[in-house]
Amino acid sequence: MKQLHVHLSSNWVLDAAMREYSPRETVDFCIIGTGAGGGVLTQRLARFGFTVVALEAGNWHDSESDMVSDEAGSARLYWNDLRITGGTDPLEFGANNSGRGVGGGTIHYAGFCPRLHPSDFQVRTLDGVAADWPLRYEQLEPYYEQMEREYPVTGPARFPWGKVHGYPYGPLQAGTAGQQLIAGCTRLGIPVVAGGPVAIPAGRVGKRPHCIMRGFCLLGCKVGAKSSMLVSHLPDAVAHGAEIRTGSMAYELPLDRAGRVTGVRYYRTLENGRLVAEEQHARAVIVAGYAIETPRLLLNSTSSRFPRGLANSSGLVGKFLMAQAGPVVWGRFAKMIRQYKAPPACACTEEFYETDPRNDFVRGYALQTVSPLPIAMAHLIAEESGSFGDELLAAMQAYNHYAAVGVLGEILPSEQNSVTIHPSATDHYGIPVPYARFSLSVNDRRMMRAGIAKAREVLMAAGAEETHAVNRYAHLVGTCRMGCSPSDSVVDQWCRSWDVPNLFICDGSVLPTQGSANPALTISALAARTAAQIRSRRGA
Amino acid sequence: MLRDRYPDSDILAQRGHWDDATRQVILDRVHNVPPFRHFDARQRDTLEALCDRIVPQHHRPLSRRIPIAPWIDARCHEPAAEGFQYDDMPPNAIAWERGLAGLDQTASALFGAAFAELPPDEQDSVLRAVRDGHPPGREWQRLPARRWWIHVAIQEITGTYYAHPYAWDEIGFGGPAYPRGYAALNNGAPEPWEARERAP
Repeated sequence: MKQLHVHLSSNWVLDAAMREYSPRETVDFCIIGTGAGGGVLTQRLARFGFTVVALEAGNWHDSESDMVSDEAGSARLYWNDLRITGGTDPLEFGANNSGRGVGGGTIHYAGFCPRLHPSDFQVRTLDGVAADWPLRYEQLEPYYEQMEREYPVTGPARFPWGKVHGYPYGPLQAGTAGQQLIAGCTRLGIPVVAGGPVAIPAGRVGKRPHCIMRGFCLLGCKVGAKSSMLVSHLPDAVAHGAEIRTGSMAYELPLDRAGRVTGVRYYRTLENGRLVAEEQHARAVIVAGYAIETPRLLLNSTSSRFPRGLANSSGLVGKFLMAQAGPVVWGRFAKMIRQYKAPPACACTEEFYETDPRNDFVRGYALQTVSPLPIAMAHLIAEESGSFGDELLAAMQAYNHYAAVGVLGEILPSEQNSVTIHPSATDHYGIPVPYARFSLSVNDRRMMRAGIAKAREVLMAAGAEETHAVNRYAHLVGTCRMGCSPSDSVVDQWCRSWDVPNLFICDGSVLPTQGSANPALTISALAARTAAQIRSRRGA
Repeated sequence: MLRDRYPDSDILAQRGHWDDATRQVILDRVHNVPPFRHFDARQRDTLEALCDRIVPQHHRPLSRRIPIAPWIDARCHEPAAEGFQYDDMPPNAIAWERGLAGLDQTASALFGAAFAELPPDEQDSVLRAVRDGHPPGREWQRLPARRWWIHVAIQEITGTYYAHPYAWDEIGFGGPAYPRGYAALNNGAPEPWEARERAP
């Protein structure tokens, strides 16, 4: 493949002429969602000469006018439509785990972009739990390399975990908060990476500006330095003829008599605020709405051929919902930290990622830097200590003396953890809403306990006087798993539906397991691999 | 227990260094406090008393107190989508109404008076009963008290408080940092324009 040059300016596309298709015109691909999966597919397929319309429920984010350096003022970045949540450990949605608008969750992710390890693709074989992937690490590796160049991802010349590899760009300097993880690990003899893998380059890339160490990465990068689909692949997609149709919420995928999808039905919000139902005709459809909206759309698309939901002959659409464990552990230091400075994503160790027979659990966790801003910090403190009043205010007055570490741990897939359609609730479009149920397993709890204990140890070694921890969750995957046969999975290794030949699902929902790696890069790599396969099948 | 760590901090005075969109959001928060439209007088008294116990502001001059209850009232009056609802909880506005009624019932069961009429130490006893999950009172039969405490009361009240620049002054948070950014990254050092922490 030709080298891709996708590093343009941060938001020029808002002013650029974008090709627009009529919904009645049959395009080659209609893609639902513009996050880490949909963004790469839109760009790749447009470059390969296909006609592409990408539907995005939200709007363009103009970094100057729509993003703010403010924790409470950034709700527009999140998917805030109604979802019902239950189970013994109900997940919170919105905010950190689902994006809305062009770029999806890549707009507000911290920017950690590690690869999975080779072992992640064979968890059933190696550990006797969960599932194997229908592909091996080596089959995804070339696409990891592509994505690391294109995002781009920064990190050390030698990343020692999983399959050893190096990064094409160097990392930013760590702030004082990030330095505590590095110092603590170093004192304990735990290998640690002092910068990366993080999608924020040190310096300009193309026309994209240099990071200003503002520290508000989780609220959208106003600078345009942090990589996101909005500044990397989508401008390139538009330049190559793709249309990104915003304000367009897919609600049904219609079928023809032969059992092929004919396009996408969606509600479009017009500029005057009016809502109209439209249908985009397409030769093939790619669903990339992430682990909640993707199964919701399929389950809401029932027909006589698929009474349990589209592409669901296996009954597995919506099953095996996984969140990633994300306990936040923080230490209180006598010295000043000022954790709000510099990007929260900075350093990590994957030393505890793999199964260790000495543990009372299988699989593992990574430790990564995190830096809660004041509102997030107040919630953590109040939840952990139960404090309120002067006690809470006093603990918050020490804000500048806290440094935090995130435990990013592998929660194993369980069929009971699922997304279904709620029997009565509908959202503001009138579409039945998803009902997510999530409960931790014994293995999950043991892993989280061990991760928290290790993070406390690291913070104490760095000089913390006391440590605290609260369970949190991040990253939603599963729900349309890929596999080797139509009975054990929803899609094949090329993200193609077993049931509907011109339907693809390409987002976090196809992951059979998740490792202890933030999923964005893996989702993009799978999307690039799927796009390459589509191109080769066309015989181009 | 409380001490004035950053007496020289005045984050709002830095507003000339903020971008327009951010400045507008924050100045709006400071200057355009909405009127009460949702809660009745009794609910308002209970809510104000609750806010006073979760984030007491007696250490601040009146002109520097952060309004909280009006913002909660506004969110109940015009509910914005919040991404999710627990399957054992009602929508947010109803959760607030039931929770405020529950506080009064618990106050009445424990101390024989409405929550807002109790002295602070008795109010705190009521709040500890709610926080610990088993407060007396009919409303709490249908509203999970612990969930309400953390995900409704604590989240919204502290979320409103720590969204305000006066609260940032109290904790030494540097606030918005675009387009200027941060340059002092080592040893927890302040920028030249940031307040130093006063030694205890």
